[in-house]
Amino acid sequence: MNFKHKYFFLFPGLFVLIGILIFPIIFVVRLSLSGWNSYNPGLDYIGLENYIRLFTDDPRFWESFFRLSFLSVTTVILQYVIGFALAHMVWKDIKFKRFFRVLFLVPMMTTPVIMTVIWRTFFHESLGPVNDMLSVFGVAPKWLTDPVIAKFTVIIVEVWQWTPFMFLLLLAGLLSLPKEPFLAAAIDGASPVRKFIYVTFPLMAPISIGAIIIRLIEASKIMDTVYVLTSGGPGTSTETSSFYIFIKGLREFQMGYAASMSFTYLIIMIISLTIIAKVLTKVLLKE
Amino acid sequence: MDLVANNLSYKPGDQYHLNEVSFNFKEGNLYTILGRTLSGKTTLLKTIAGLLTPDNGEIEFDGKNFLKIPVWERNVAMVYQQFINYPHLNVFENIAFPLKQRKINQSIINEKVMDALKSVGLLGYENRRIQELSGGQQQRVSLARSLVKNAKILLLDEPLVNLDYKLREQLREEFKNLFSKGLADKSILIYSTTDPRETMELNGEVIVLDEGKVLQVGTAKEIFENPNSLKVAEISNDPPMNIIEAKISDNHIRFEGIDLEAPQHLSKLTEDGLKIGLRSSDIELNENGHEFEVELAEISGSETLLHLKRGDTKIIVSIEEVLNFKIHDKVKINFKVDRAYAFNANGKLASSPFGGLNG
Repeated sequence: MNFKHKYFFLFPGLFVLIGILIFPIIFVVRLSLSGWNSYNPGLDYIGLENYIRLFTDDPRFWESFFRLSFLSVTTVILQYVIGFALAHMVWKDIKFKRFFRVLFLVPMMTTPVIMTVIWRTFFHESLGPVNDMLSVFGVAPKWLTDPVIAKFTVIIVEVWQWTPFMFLLLLAGLLSLPKEPFLAAAIDGASPVRKFIYVTFPLMAPISIGAIIIRLIEASKIMDTVYVLTSGGPGTSTETSSFYIFIKGLREFQMGYAASMSFTYLIIMIISLTIIAKVLTKVLLKE
Repeated sequence: MDLVANNLSYKPGDQYHLNEVSFNFKEGNLYTILGRTLSGKTTLLKTIAGLLTPDNGEIEFDGKNFLKIPVWERNVAMVYQQFINYPHLNVFENIAFPLKQRKINQSIINEKVMDALKSVGLLGYENRRIQELSGGQQQRVSLARSLVKNAKILLLDEPLVNLDYKLREQLREEFKNLFSKGLADKSILIYSTTDPRETMELNGEVIVLDEGKVLQVGTAKEIFENPNSLKVAEISNDPPMNIIEAKISDNHIRFEGIDLEAPQHLSKLTEDGLKIGLRSSDIELNENGHEFEVELAEISGSETLLHLKRGDTKIIVSIEEVLNFKIHDKVKINFKVDRAYAFNANGKLASSPFGGLNG
């Protein structure tokens, strides 16, 4: 097809793509090579200075990065296990199947920030209902102020909020599976448990990989939960990469430095997610 | 070890899939369930396998209530008409699957799988993926999977129906060999089919099923020689038996202006509303015969099927050679009346050339 005006028709899409994707990335790279902060706003070129500072003189960034890895991997594993269990449950013919299918999706329909505020109230150490109930057993965990427990509080809220998404993907996967292998497996002498291990799970492998990757990408952006629940505290014990970048960039207004962190973070994420996807494919699909 | 069923009924909607089906299957025999599509064959096999629970009736195997035993403990094997295998496993793993469910030593599994592969002629295909196989090969894999576990009951649900002509012939031959090789000695083989020819060739005990009801039980020979009703005659012949409305009187059969001398076994019949049944292969082309008009001529394999018409009477004639006819051609045919059946007004067999009933 040779058509003179084809670029004209491509333009609207291209314009949007350039405007919202390509330009920001290029701008971040340029910004990361500048010393833009509240005293010296502007794109004055300072070379790789920001990157040298990041790699030699900022343990807080790397700590927040490893914390983020821990939080996202843990939450995604939990979401996968719980999501799969719930999806498997309503996939079978059980009573009130439709009711449960909708019920399990409710958390996803709520606004994360507002739900986190509610969770914060729940976990309030002296006024929250959680500790009120736990007082029966004589314990009162410091949900939001203990450096270790606070991490798990974040995990609980994240898992509650996003398991429904995993549930939805996995249920769709289960419903699209062919029925025949299950008939064959029953006749071949597989008990329900073995049927799950040897038929359901392997057939679900491709969908599982997709769902896990999508959730990992989402989970590694975790920000609102931390912001509302603990503000990264106590100290920096729940601070994640995106939250740290937010503090540096938009609170302390070290735009140039924050940009260099963002770009480094982007590169690390692309590499690590590619590796994770490859490994998952190898392990689950045996390819 | 007998498989006994009493009054099995299954009626999911307003139509019976099984209607008071009873049988007594004995170890070491081959049973063929013959019926048209939707006659309840698959339902019956699924009920035996345990994939369906009947509304009424009971099944006993080896003296135990079979319906109380869950599917995976029944020691049943099944081959489906749509080649069912595990898409995520290769050929070897597919066949090994039933054995793996029983904690059998790996070296024994290897040996058994190789034996099964050999018996279905798929040696060398162990590591292929299922999707890389042709339909016939996929069906062989599922057959091997059902053979490998030495099940007490082997169910084959129209295993050849989705294969092309050549493969069907070839696999049918292989089935016969497998069944006669002593496979059937220790188990009960149940084979369902819509194809009368397959039924005759397998030569086992035949159960004719229609609309969930058992119409006739007997050996293939018995069903062929003395179909007990019009319906059985229709189901157990391909093309279906020709049914001609005729009058029998004074030793003569008369229809459409044709006058045939009645053979001995039909001559004594006098009742009204008789129908004459004659197989398509018992009618031949003959220069001195009766004139019919060709409505359709189809060539199937090495034979020609002629759909003929005279007045209101329509018949099908099969000729063992490939001939070309045009529509509206006139042909002359002869009836081998000594091979004709008679059915009375309510469809029951009245007389057969093989000595059934009044003959």
